[in-house]
Amino acid sequence: MPRENMTEWDNELYQKVDRYNLVPNLEQCLQCGKCTGNCPVAAMHPSYNPRQIVHDILAGDSDRILQSEEIWRCMWCANCYRVCPVDIHYPLLMMQLRYLALENGYGLKYVTPINKYAYRAFTGGLTFIPGQRGVDKIKGLREGIGVEPWPKVSEKAIAEYGAIFEQTGAVDWMKALDEVQAKGEEKPVKLSFMGGRLIDERYDTE
Amino acid sequence: MSAMTQNRVVKAHERIPEIPEKIFLFRSCTGSMEYPGTEHCVEFVLKKLGIEIIKDADQSCCSGYILTCSGYPAEPSLAVTARNLGMVEQRYGLDTYTFCNGCFGYNTELKHILDHHPEYKKMANDLIGQWGYHYEGNSHVYHVQELWYLLLDRIKEMVVRPLTGLRIASHYGCHYLAQQYGILDEGDLPTFHEEIYEALGATPVFFKERRMCCAYAVGRGFTHPENVVQPHLARKFDSAKEEGVELMTTTCPGCNVALDREQPKLAKRGFGPYDIPVIDIGQLIALALGAPIEEIGFNANSTPVEPVLKKLGFLND
Ligand code: SF4
Ligand code: SF4
Repeated sequence: MPRENMTEWDNELYQKVDRYNLVPNLEQCLQCGKCTGNCPVAAMHPSYNPRQIVHDILAGDSDRILQSEEIWRCMWCANCYRVCPVDIHYPLLMMQLRYLALENGYGLKYVTPINKYAYRAFTGGLTFIPGQRGVDKIKGLREGIGVEPWPKVSEKAIAEYGAIFEQTGAVDWMKALDEVQAKGEEKPVKLSFMGGRLIDERYDTE
Repeated sequence: MSAMTQNRVVKAHERIPEIPEKIFLFRSCTGSMEYPGTEHCVEFVLKKLGIEIIKDADQSCCSGYILTCSGYPAEPSLAVTARNLGMVEQRYGLDTYTFCNGCFGYNTELKHILDHHPEYKKMANDLIGQWGYHYEGNSHVYHVQELWYLLLDRIKEMVVRPLTGLRIASHYGCHYLAQQYGILDEGDLPTFHEEIYEALGATPVFFKERRMCCAYAVGRGFTHPENVVQPHLARKFDSAKEEGVELMTTTCPGCNVALDREQPKLAKRGFGPYDIPVIDIGQLIALALGAPIEEIGFNANSTPVEPVLKKLGFLND
């Protein structure tokens, strides 16, 4: 494993990550590790360590963290946040850290497949509308219990929902990621915290 | 920052001081598509309790799920939340009740951001103003499970199909329990679902990993691949199996998808096998209160519920 290059560290990493100013108290982190002790992902994958991720963001270890595969393992269950003695909202930190990774070309493969459903929500007003066969099945189930075959979502709701995404620039942001991927410019992620650790292989072969 | 001084747990009657006569019921995308019986049963129970339900086809998806996968920036979700909650405030002056921990957690979290960051509230209001909406922030977001608990005495009186002897365990769901402040019960050792089971005549079962995340929380199979999700779930189900759990309930259609639909897939990876049916707690209450079985929607489940119904002798009535 290559050593980090000190000259590539980024003193403004924390400010860049917390772009929405949603985790203003990160510097109060005690490095107590309660987050890690309560994290179900860390329980299975010792290389995933929320305490260490907070540390690296504050230290500015930009190189390591943006290309990290581990940051895509968080399940957003918020158990870290629930037990944090200083109320650090780790899930909102993780959401924003992933934005920065994506914009630097990392981890797109974890996000662009979901966005197929976001695009569909702009025309159907519901998230996770399946394909035609799935839709038929849902209609059958709904009629079977005596409710209308499809949930009532107005044209107005759908149009306004889509317009909000257009007008906030969200659609452009998503399309830009699609383009990076289409051009083959997505950068590979790698396990970043593995040095010297033993892990159960069953859990880590993709 | 007042982490150590602020109460994290609120008594049920303090959280909802007055039982509402009328509520706004927030549609869940996953609920209405994956398990349509959930919404139907929630409405059945609310009607039995004499609570009037308002729904509105102009409500959109809460937009939270894909946001938490970092699938798009936060601005649209802030505006979507302001639009939905603002619409409910303006048109009905009611509080919003969800029947999905996702809708509950995301609406609560995004509302919190809107209420504490004037710049985001203004951004959202400027945007939704073009359609005549305005978000003030003078209503609350609740989950219907909170009503079930508050009205437990009334529910108990109305039980016509007691679930005698059924060993039920709860999955509360992180996006309810991990809310830092203002939830009904202690995040580490909640018991209000177990109290509901007892009121319905069933036997509550505690298992070691009962607090463990469903693993669907964010982008199952997207942001975190199967090799993260499946061993995690196997641990949960092994622990439930050990305690002889016969049925598990959820308060979130998302959790229900993970826990129900993943069981057959776990066997293929060499875990299990498991056959613990997973249903919404609203469906469970509707069952005990006598809802017609075919209207509860158990046929949407991947891990069959029929064995439990047979055991209880409910399949022939
Ligand atoms: S629990 Fe909170 S204070 Fe402790 S290490 Fe984690 S983030 Fe830092
Ligand atoms: S939100 Fe992520 S880091 Fe926090 S406990 Fe859950 S999986 Fe671990």
